Amino acid sequence: MNRASSPRARRRQAVSKIFSVACLGATMVAVIALALILWTLVTKGAAALSPGLFTQDQPAPGSVGGLRNAIVGSLIMCAIGMVIALVVGILAGTWLAEYGRGTKRASVVRFFNDVLLSAPSILVGLFIYELMVRPFHGFSGYAGAVALAFLATPIVVRTTEDILTLQPDALREAGMALGAGHGHVIRTVLWRAAGAGIVTGGLLGFARISGETAPLLFTSLGSQFVQADPSQPMASLPTTIFQFALSAFPDWQRLAWAGALLIAVAVLVANIAGRLLGNRSHRP
Amino acid sequence: MNSPQISGLEEDEATSITRPVDEALHLNVKNLDFFYGKTQALFGVDLPVERKKITALIGPSGCGKSTLLRTLNRMHELYPGQRAEGEVAFDGQDVLEDLAVADVRSRIGMVFQKPTPFPMSIYDNIAYGVRLHRRTSKAQMNEIVETSLTRAALWNEVKDKLHSSGLSLSGGQQQRLCVARAIAVEPEVLLLDEPASALDPVSTAKLEETLHVLADDITIVIVTHNLQQAARVSTHTGFMYLGRMIEFGPTNELFAAPRLRRTGNYITGRFG
Amino acid sequence: MFRIACASAATLLLASLAGLMVSLVIGGWPALSTFGFSFLTSSVWNPVTDVYGAAGPISGTLITAFLSLIIALPLALGIALFLVEFCPPMLSRPIAMAVELLAGIPSIVYGMWGLFVFAPWFAQHIQLPLMMHAQDGSWLASLVAGVPNGANIFTASVILAVMILPYMAAVFRELFLTVPPHLREAAYGLGCTPYETVRAVLIPYVRRGMIGVIMLGLGRALGETMAVTFIIGNAHGFPHSLFASGSTLASTIANEFAEATGAMHGSALMALGLVLFCITFAVLGIARMLIGDQRA
Repeated sequence: MNRASSPRARRRQAVSKIFSVACLGATMVAVIALALILWTLVTKGAAALSPGLFTQDQPAPGSVGGLRNAIVGSLIMCAIGMVIALVVGILAGTWLAEYGRGTKRASVVRFFNDVLLSAPSILVGLFIYELMVRPFHGFSGYAGAVALAFLATPIVVRTTEDILTLQPDALREAGMALGAGHGHVIRTVLWRAAGAGIVTGGLLGFARISGETAPLLFTSLGSQFVQADPSQPMASLPTTIFQFALSAFPDWQRLAWAGALLIAVAVLVANIAGRLLGNRSHRP
Repeated sequence: MNSPQISGLEEDEATSITRPVDEALHLNVKNLDFFYGKTQALFGVDLPVERKKITALIGPSGCGKSTLLRTLNRMHELYPGQRAEGEVAFDGQDVLEDLAVADVRSRIGMVFQKPTPFPMSIYDNIAYGVRLHRRTSKAQMNEIVETSLTRAALWNEVKDKLHSSGLSLSGGQQQRLCVARAIAVEPEVLLLDEPASALDPVSTAKLEETLHVLADDITIVIVTHNLQQAARVSTHTGFMYLGRMIEFGPTNELFAAPRLRRTGNYITGRFG
Repeated sequence: MFRIACASAATLLLASLAGLMVSLVIGGWPALSTFGFSFLTSSVWNPVTDVYGAAGPISGTLITAFLSLIIALPLALGIALFLVEFCPPMLSRPIAMAVELLAGIPSIVYGMWGLFVFAPWFAQHIQLPLMMHAQDGSWLASLVAGVPNGANIFTASVILAVMILPYMAAVFRELFLTVPPHLREAAYGLGCTPYETVRAVLIPYVRRGMIGVIMLGLGRALGETMAVTFIIGNAHGFPHSLFASGSTLASTIANEFAEATGAMHGSALMALGLVLFCITFAVLGIARMLIGDQRA
């Protein structure tokens, strides 16, 4: 009897075939949907790109203008936010990987970090509002930066811990066998060995916060002018896009698409750079 | 190696420790117990280590030889739950009680199974340990780096690329770099934990040659599962089994005429 | 010193999450104590008379999150299985990389696409024809009733699904890659077809992890703000049909908080935040229980 052609075998093959086609179909549907989104973003965004985007501030409806104030505000807040996130994140990640390893407390910290990692970003906005905006009676770039730091820190913590855990124990022991203290070995040997991985964490964190809108809505608020003083309300690309996209003015909507394209490109570049670095550093 | 005479039919609990004269001892381990949490890994181990000689520790995997070695410079303290009880006399002081841990580790250096170059230049790898313990001028440091690399038989191979990364060297070179890094701190004792197990035969031969030269000034304790290596490099050998020091004596005697049956069985390859 | 710095950074992490919780409780307390239990059950949301009930946004949040999960889950599983099991290896890596990168695109981009492209198309080609053809009083008519502008619960769910899809597909793929190759080979060695291998080996092996991933996807959908705010229509109260405008917890906060002048209004929005926090915290907790702390 030829088993391969028995009705049962044929039915099994057919079921499997249908299943694989369904999987292919799912992939096609998703790829097409995502391609459509990217296509819209690129065509609409590119059409509105111009040098004026970077040299002019946001216009009144109906007149010409750019997004300079929003770009400057986003850069300043992201920079401050990343500095905070890197300092806190690297230290906390180091604690988890080196000092807290295996302790009950570490697993609590890790859980809290995971909660922060996926907590709705708008709640962070509410918290920073209560913490910084209400007590000081005003929206400010600092408040926005702290809110962003909140979102980037858990990512830095996680990548730092992961990459330090990957470093061989022998490297730690070799440092300490020379008489160095644990802290000294971490700072001079382990951080250096884990450098690329930690930078990856920073880039991924930056990618996360550069497109965040919700936590900025009521922390940095927005500003129509270039504002270099973070103690004042500050514009940012995402909130400006939000405001412009929901407006009724075609000029503003065009600027919103240009801004969305800028952010998407920045996020993609940071993500790709982070991944390339991460792949190289994953050999321990 | 001559086929050893297997003498006697002692009981399995028997041990045989041939002690050198006490004055010649640099390190003297007495009645050492070691615990991983609740599991005991060493049982009343004795180990006399003679000054400026090479002492080898042999035995099957899991017999406790690495554990014993790591106790000698208190590496076990990195891990909560590991503890050692007993005495490790080191020039009249107890390593486990009397000395600060940073002192112990600067006087008793260590080289590990896998090469562990730090992610920095060859020069900085050597300078790293020195900078921990004292300030030196640039010229002094250059001299220390050259001397250490020369003693580790690596100078000729790396003198033109001192500022390239330590990770760019081959495995054997990396291991000799680690030896150079350890001796740059001028330790009195150097511990080596299976230093050649990741190396090819040529690199192994170079490393062993290095050890012979170093033994002029430094006391060396080496853990190895390679019996030929123990026979080649050491003056004294300890055979460990199941957390106990079964037999200790001059290497030529232990290999040629082991006193205990279990030692004989191990070195003739009947188990382990 | 250094050790203390590290430990305090870790403690700061703990404190910040605790602070988040406490500030929501304090901020939301006036509203919660005034309206009591009816805050959760009433669907009246009236800033003019200062009476607030959260049932509308709560139901909107749950409906959109679950709908989007129903749409995204089969697609994400399909993509992951296609990449792991059926795709030629040459294509698999680039597609996987693209999927991962798409997972990082800011949600505001998805929201804008929904607002400018998807909603108008949906209103014109799906909603209007359905409304025209549905007989008055039929179940279909009540399901699709609404202002035909495309800004409704259903389109919001679709956009949410598109947004969580790359994330879930990427994590599912990583999960399937953890299945030891010898297990799959053993199944094929018994003569299993690819489909049977998936059913017999791949899915059982990662079952707990899969549920964890689903919970994480749900968590994202529950808390997503911008993509939804663009397209859900932001109407208070219970959504009356699938194609009616509605609101979610997050979109209500985003829309009204900056303009909330009355103390009670602000507090009610804080209370919404607290409800959202509790829901997502519970979902994350369950996910964590199922996936476990792999690094403990």
